[in-house]
Amino acid sequence: MSTPKAPAGHFTLLYFASATSFTRKQHDFFAAPLPLAKLYNAIEEKYPGIKAKVLESSALTVNLDYVDVEEEVQKGDGGLVIQAGDEVAIIPPVSSG
Amino acid sequence: MAAEPSPVTCIEEENLFVQLTHDRLDIASIMARVKSPKAGAVVLFAGTTRDSFADKPVVHLAYSAYAPLALRTMQSIAREVKGQHSLTAIAMVHRLGVCPVGEESILIAVSSPHRLAAWRAGEQALEECKERVEVWKLEEFGGDEGAVWRANRDGQAGARVENAMDDVGGQT
Repeated sequence: MSTPKAPAGHFTLLYFASATSFTRKQHDFFAAPLPLAKLYNAIEEKYPGIKAKVLESSALTVNLDYVDVEEEVQKGDGGLVIQAGDEVAIIPPVSSG
Repeated sequence: MAAEPSPVTCIEEENLFVQLTHDRLDIASIMARVKSPKAGAVVLFAGTTRDSFADKPVVHLAYSAYAPLALRTMQSIAREVKGQHSLTAIAMVHRLGVCPVGEESILIAVSSPHRLAAWRAGEQALEECKERVEVWKLEEFGGDEGAVWRANRDGQAGARVENAMDDVGGQT
């Protein structure tokens, strides 16, 4: 159940459900710092098609807090920047119970 | 080298308990957690794996979770529901991993002095969990049918996946 630790200068991106199926992985490490606004393109470059199939219908958390990706994109340079050691997660539509 | 802290699998507060577990769910245990001389009413909801989804036979369901966040969300829901209905106690447990047909995947137990609050709270707790808790259900149809990641939100068809069982387990 524990999260993999990112190497220095990297953050961890966790995949769940359809994101895990698409990437065939449970996590990746990406170089930090990275503005949140650039994250989706960075993931798409690695996994073409993931934006349309997964990301656009998923939520995103940074260190267990939900972030509004669109809002951060709008802020431009003032938007959230992901730091080394951060834990980012793709949250597809949930289905408990 | 510092030791890794052991992963949190439950959160316990006064008269409030939420848990994720790979073990079979224990009804007697969750009932015992909420029963009290102060509570005249105890309501238990048990969600179990059905043998079909939209007429397609289901072999089993498999649940995975973003554990630290799912627990946090369950704790928030439990606190909210307990407060709103002035419950005596609340406990919620979700199973992870493969959940065979007929077995419980989620248990919610609430207790209160009188029954109306208990009925309402139990229902509200379940609906909130299904909407918010960071747990995902993989429906395994078997053979060529493959498997589908379900989405509880209305109108979502689910995401079809090949070689589904490779994706379950390990990460909870």
